Amino acid sequence: MVNEGVKKSRSNRTFLLISILPAILILGGFVLMLFWGFYQSLTDMRFGRTRVDFEGFGNYAYLFGRGRFWDSVSLTTTFAFTAVACEAVLGLAIAKLFNTKALLANWCRPVMLLPLVLPPLSVALMWTTMMNPESGVLNYFLGFIGVDNFSWISKADTALLAVVFIDVWTYTPFFALIIFAGLRGISPEILEAARMNGAKAWGLFFRIELPMVLPYIILAALFRLIDSLNQFDIIFGTTQGGPGNATNVLSISAYFTAFQNLQFGRGAAIMIMNWLVVLVSALVMVKLWRYTRDRVS
Amino acid sequence: MKKHAVALALTAGVLTTSNVLAEDFDWRKYEGIEITWAYDIHPYADAVVAYLNEFEELTGIKVKPELYPDDTYWGKLNIQLSSGSTDWDVVGTGIQPSWDVTPAGQLTPLKEFLEDPSMTSPDYDYEDIFPALRRAWTWNVEEEKIIDTPDGEIWAIPHAFETVQLMYRTDILDRLGVEPPRTLTDLTTACKQITKSDPSITPMAVRGVRFWSSIHTAPISIARSYGVSDFVGSGEDLDTGLDSADSIRFHKDYVEMIQTCAPDSWANDNWYQVVDGLSSGKTAMAMDANMFGFWNNIKGASDASGKIAFAPPLTAPGEAEFASNIFAWSLAINSASENKGAAWYFMQWATSKEMNVRGATDGKLVNSPRTSTWENPAWIDYAKQPEFNNFYDTFNTVLAKSSLLFTPRYGFGTAINAWAVAMQDMVGGEDVEERLSELADEIREELE
Repeated sequence: MVNEGVKKSRSNRTFLLISILPAILILGGFVLMLFWGFYQSLTDMRFGRTRVDFEGFGNYAYLFGRGRFWDSVSLTTTFAFTAVACEAVLGLAIAKLFNTKALLANWCRPVMLLPLVLPPLSVALMWTTMMNPESGVLNYFLGFIGVDNFSWISKADTALLAVVFIDVWTYTPFFALIIFAGLRGISPEILEAARMNGAKAWGLFFRIELPMVLPYIILAALFRLIDSLNQFDIIFGTTQGGPGNATNVLSISAYFTAFQNLQFGRGAAIMIMNWLVVLVSALVMVKLWRYTRDRVS
Repeated sequence: MKKHAVALALTAGVLTTSNVLAEDFDWRKYEGIEITWAYDIHPYADAVVAYLNEFEELTGIKVKPELYPDDTYWGKLNIQLSSGSTDWDVVGTGIQPSWDVTPAGQLTPLKEFLEDPSMTSPDYDYEDIFPALRRAWTWNVEEEKIIDTPDGEIWAIPHAFETVQLMYRTDILDRLGVEPPRTLTDLTTACKQITKSDPSITPMAVRGVRFWSSIHTAPISIARSYGVSDFVGSGEDLDTGLDSADSIRFHKDYVEMIQTCAPDSWANDNWYQVVDGLSSGKTAMAMDANMFGFWNNIKGASDASGKIAFAPPLTAPGEAEFASNIFAWSLAINSASENKGAAWYFMQWATSKEMNVRGATDGKLVNSPRTSTWENPAWIDYAKQPEFNNFYDTFNTVLAKSSLLFTPRYGFGTAINAWAVAMQDMVGGEDVEERLSELADEIREELE
């Protein structure tokens, strides 16, 4: 009897081990690639040259000593945090609309998801055409309200705003979807009890709904922040990091450095720095999410 | 610094090119093999694609074309070659970008094939290709540096080339009473006149994307007449010439020209947008590769048919001599290819006399690199048709002063991409002198 139990327990453990083995292998692969990328960032590896010398933190020292690199760090965080904040606010508003019985909400629900299913590069190309200062449809409409020749992605002072706008258009539905699920999860009894106690619509929203969906909002923000800090497709497809360096975020800078300028070691160093920015931001967001979740619990 | 002057005297004569490829050559040697040919989305590619079925019938080799937009093609090419991928066998490339990939042996040297009668058809006639283009594709690699020598290896075969010219819409300039400009400052003045007369017309289009392809057309050609070189000196004394007094003068004039003449979308414009502006009549003038004007002049090709005329590149004020940069679209073999023999068969067919003439008279492979094409009455008659305006004569005028205006060296992309980014910054309002100084420092750091 005891032997049978031991056998069964061993068999269960083996089954569990086999079940999680693919996950361990995939995770191990990621970690290995990360270390390999880090190693490359410590070399002077260049495409088109066979000799590769180890040069320690030379690439990092080079980057830290250059204002353009810090501009890229600043652009990356500005782009990501602005886009995610706008998406959260708009996503909340849309989710609130979806959570009503309004006819508009029924119509909008399926349409809202369209930007999410489009490939980001197609989105970028579509907006590049629409944002053309001379022939784009956006300036045609802006003309009706007296705004002429808004430069969108073509001038350094508006390009960042334009790519944030595209990111917001593309990913706000993601927020709306997650927050909508959160709103649906709030027990009607709680809301009804609040109403019985005289709570008005704004009070219900700010004192009950918002605190209860906050963990959802932060969770969505976490995913989107990771994505936006690494954003490549939308920016490459519209401005390629320009004009000048106006939208030269870390991912674009790394791509150009590694694959256009052929300085792969330095490009890898930029990618590692990008990864660090993502890691720190994600850790902060996770802490925030835990705090709000515990508070709601 | 070695420059390859192109001085190609064209003589009239009847071409005696054979219309069939040599029958005693074993074209079926690589029958059954499939190769991949990567290229830019470009009419030069269309010229070859149109006859691929004939090549497949002739050789039994299946060719899979992979065509990419210009913006992504060059980056993908670098990745494919440097990663040692065997996916691409034949690649489309140019001389300048190849300076960056040959030091690591990413392209296959071609002399071995050219000198082997079992691999090269007896009527291939490599010597028929313009000497300057052959010379420009010849160098050696020593200690990962480009050694420019006439006895060096051959890295690719050109199948068409571009010269930079000013192209203008005759209907627009005639209507507005504007003469085609000769100098950069004349152009700025003409632009003001055009904008004043018809604000709906964009006076001038040039490429502006933050990539070397923006520099290799208008800027490098005009800059040379200001006395600007990308690099000066040689060997250990090699230095950038981009912060010189001449360079500052050129950039100030060029930046003013862009701010006055170019569309607001300039920073996002690649050749697709430049050509679209000219063909649609939104733009009065453009400075880019001359064949774009030719293609749009073809009867029925666009509303611009017969309305685009050609002029030599712009010069510095008071300077009579112009300069025009060339870009030779060429075919090369990926050194990681597992089908080099079949790849070479495809290359020699695609760059043969027959294919060059056919491509040219189809109106696609304009600017053939082969002397025989330019002596072929069929091509001469075709190119001199009225709808092409002064294409033929301007080509001959410009060709005499066309050359590769960049310095052969590893690191071409790094330096010239940085120049393109700096150009965007200057047009965006950064101080020209300061930005050029920063650019020069950046390039010098790389030189060290």
